[in-house]
Amino acid sequence: MTLRRARWRSALALLGLVCALAVGSAAAQERELDPRVFEIGRELRCPTCVSESVGESSAAIAREMRVMIQEQLDQGASRAEVLAFFQERYGDWILQNPPMRGMNLLVWLLPIAAVLVAVVVIARLLRRWRVAAETPVDVDPSDLDRVRAELRSGFGDGADR
Amino acid sequence: MSRDVSQGRSRVRRLLPVVATVTALTALFLFGLLRGSPDRDIPSNFLGRQVPNFDLPVYERYMAEFGPRLTLDEVRGRPMVINFWASWCGPCYEEAPHLQRAFDRYGDEVLFIGIQTQDRDARAAGRAFIERFDLTFPNVFDGDSRTSIAYGLFGVPETFFVHADGTLQFKYAGPVTETILSEQIGALRR
Amino acid sequence: MVSLGVLGSSALTLALALSIYAAVAGVLGAVRRDARLQTSARLTAIAVFLATTTAIVVMQAALLTDDFTVKYVAEHSRIESPVWVKVVTLWAALEGSVLLWAWLLTAYAAVLAVTAPNTILRPWALVVMQVVAIFFLSVVTFAANPFIVLANPPLDGPGANPLLQNHWMMAVHPVLMYLGFVGLTVPFAFAMAALITRRPGTEWMRLTRRWTLLGWGFLTAAIVTGGWWSYEVLGWGGYWAWDPVENVSILPWFTATAFLHSIQVQERRRMLKSWNLLLIVLTFSLTLLGTFLIRSGVVSSVHAFGDGPVGPFFLTFFVIVALASISLVVWRWDQIRDRADLDSVVSREGAFIGVNVLFLAMAFAVLLGTVFPLFVEATTGARVTVGAPFFDAITLPVWMVVLLLMGVGPLLPWRRAETQTLRSNLLVMTGALVLAVVIAFAFGMRRPYPLLTLGLAGWNLASVGLLLAGAIVPRARITGRSLGEVFTRYAFEQKRRVGSMVVHLGVIVIAIGIVGSGGYRVDQQLRLAYGERVAYQGYELQALRPFAEQEAGRASVGVEVAVWRGDRQITVLTPRINRFGTNQMTVPTPSVHYTAGHDLYLALAGAVDPAQDFVIIRAVTSPLITWIWFGGAIIVLGTAYALSPGDRPLRRRVEAEAPAGAEA
Repeated sequence: MTLRRARWRSALALLGLVCALAVGSAAAQERELDPRVFEIGRELRCPTCVSESVGESSAAIAREMRVMIQEQLDQGASRAEVLAFFQERYGDWILQNPPMRGMNLLVWLLPIAAVLVAVVVIARLLRRWRVAAETPVDVDPSDLDRVRAELRSGFGDGADR
Repeated sequence: MSRDVSQGRSRVRRLLPVVATVTALTALFLFGLLRGSPDRDIPSNFLGRQVPNFDLPVYERYMAEFGPRLTLDEVRGRPMVINFWASWCGPCYEEAPHLQRAFDRYGDEVLFIGIQTQDRDARAAGRAFIERFDLTFPNVFDGDSRTSIAYGLFGVPETFFVHADGTLQFKYAGPVTETILSEQIGALRR
Repeated sequence: MVSLGVLGSSALTLALALSIYAAVAGVLGAVRRDARLQTSARLTAIAVFLATTTAIVVMQAALLTDDFTVKYVAEHSRIESPVWVKVVTLWAALEGSVLLWAWLLTAYAAVLAVTAPNTILRPWALVVMQVVAIFFLSVVTFAANPFIVLANPPLDGPGANPLLQNHWMMAVHPVLMYLGFVGLTVPFAFAMAALITRRPGTEWMRLTRRWTLLGWGFLTAAIVTGGWWSYEVLGWGGYWAWDPVENVSILPWFTATAFLHSIQVQERRRMLKSWNLLLIVLTFSLTLLGTFLIRSGVVSSVHAFGDGPVGPFFLTFFVIVALASISLVVWRWDQIRDRADLDSVVSREGAFIGVNVLFLAMAFAVLLGTVFPLFVEATTGARVTVGAPFFDAITLPVWMVVLLLMGVGPLLPWRRAETQTLRSNLLVMTGALVLAVVIAFAFGMRRPYPLLTLGLAGWNLASVGLLLAGAIVPRARITGRSLGEVFTRYAFEQKRRVGSMVVHLGVIVIAIGIVGSGGYRVDQQLRLAYGERVAYQGYELQALRPFAEQEAGRASVGVEVAVWRGDRQITVLTPRINRFGTNQMTVPTPSVHYTAGHDLYLALAGAVDPAQDFVIIRAVTSPLITWIWFGGAIIVLGTAYALSPGDRPLRRRVEAEAPAGAEA
């Protein structure tokens, strides 16, 4: 035991590790957190991180924010109220999901619009192609050869049963 | 001949949307390149609004004047410069002398408050920081970083310039310079 | 004795010069139809590869011998690191990764120079490969040269980024990614060659079919291994956060997947010529655009290690490639315009067109979401975030439709489906869908996406069953052989087809893993007093003791946590915090108990302090998350099977019999 303790101590001294992760007025942070805290945390962006959410990050500020979320939930706050609390202080930037208003609508609507445009364009093309399919074509003799060869060879390519 | 021309024109027409898209993307990215790294300097959500209250322990050096705790609501009424710093933060060492000099100059009219934040259990380091620059304006300790969350801080250092009525005039992210300090304080005094 | 730095720089300069020569000789040889010049260009492609290989060997020698006069070694390596870390340090930072990319590219170019069949396309395709190589070699020679010699070399370096040293997966993932990107350069090069030579038929596509599949397979493997790396290293129990780096890796994957499907329409039906050309241009451009986005610091990303001065280079090259290749497509529009005819939307080609729309829609949405914050900032100055919830919300419904089509498409014949067969097939599949949903519901599942995904899994399984039955039963009946025998023969002869079925199965497995872990994940932060058993999600966790370890270049502290289920101790997990060398950065490293049903994932969420009688743990259970890695392996196997030699699709047999210019 003493040996292990000693080895432990020396390793600690060597690493200076305690400070690095613990950074802290520990007591408040060293508590249990419910699953909902992490769910809500994933909808908030960690303010000091590069691009992580509060639910993911191990940064000190994200850990403190998780504790704050837990405290607010304990006091009966709803998910929307928690999000609003942080939004009031940090602005829209803190929300991982851009709120649907103003310019942000673009990021939601443009993909949908793009799909609609694509569908319309393709529908028009399809109509043109279908007309083409109904008009007889000049057949390339080599194509005819191929068709004959394919018919001779029996089975198709699997799906062509 | 005329068919060639019309063909050429239709080709150009086809190319236009592509050129437009690529140009728009490039313009956007050039903006990004010239702007430099993101995540700095995000406008504060408190602009034009009341900055939130805080109640934090005061470093020993200022206790004689301010008591053991400093509550913002109790000292409101004057223009304020609220500076957030941490002992591990390089740029904070850069800006501290400028802040002290600005305080020497404007301290009679403008209230300066330093808040050590995102720096848990580092009161000794905080004390050393204060002594090193001989900061004479009050400095308080935000141990659980909640004041920094209340102010919507994205990092340290950040400096808040607050009107006498308590509304935020401007927030500066990164080490403040003498120019910024005198400009912003000038605007506060007006 | 020449220093390694000088040697490496010289090798790179030589490679660049040779590459320029190969491109110029290739152009002249192609224009003048000069066989000797063409041969010279081909041989030079091999020489370029030898030169870049020399550069790679020199860099490895510098890393392994701790030659800190070389800038890259001084900045990213460390004496006490284990050998494998030193080897993979080659791609642990910007300069080295560009070097690796250039090397792989020149390797592919050399292989093509030797193996590509002698057609009119070959010289031009090799030229395009060399032009891309010139770009990468210029970047690595001028903008991000890893071989710069330091006048005052340090005695030791800081070592590679701790996050990268923390898992052996880092030895694999980036290489796979570059192999994928480079693999997709080959069809791009041949597409350009086809346009330049005015032969935009299907030849370029047939010649590069295997390369396309190979590149796609590597890219898929890279994305899955990248996810696993995140899971094992980042400590939050997830694998995909829609970070910009992740987004730009999946963008070309979306377009490449669309390409993989739509080229089959062109092969069989001579449709979508221009579309396929545009898709491969888009895919290649997106690899460049992605590299620009994450290497320039324009968007913020957790993984953006080593911003460098290369941003403007990649942006410029992206603009050149996009404009030049699209102009070429437009210029040849008359030749590639579809004179297509479509009998019915309810046909294989109809399904492929549908799947193309879906993948392109996802690519568009993901690209838009990635650059949207930049767009808002540029236009209004406001700052917004587009994070994981947005990407999940916008891609999940599309994925559901993809899964739906994935079941129907392979069953539909080309041209026109026979209503009778189609109806009975759909009936069986719908039955399987409903059955799967009912079973899942009975087991207590209520969330829409997991329910729907399981239903679609049933739908797809039924589809594969029908597909196999339809292929095997009639054959068995006609030939009188046993089903097993026919199946073996079928699997052996139709490698592409069977491979694609296996890949689709892998996709289902991954889909189940994604929605299971996404929909039913539980995160909790627990306080474990040493010795005490704490209940968590049907387990009991018992912190046993803290420990400290010291290995070559790595020090860690952690906690041994016994995992109990009832009275049985299942395993002991060891979540820890690692530190590498003198680097201040600590890497919390989780410890995972993998099972087929769900994973138990523990990470330290507080200090390991011997003076403290408890430890704070973040515990995550993710149902079915292992299925993602397993499904990734299935996809890789299926791709490898489809690529394995001996595939004898009907077409080739027919062409062998009737070679009379069928493609002209």
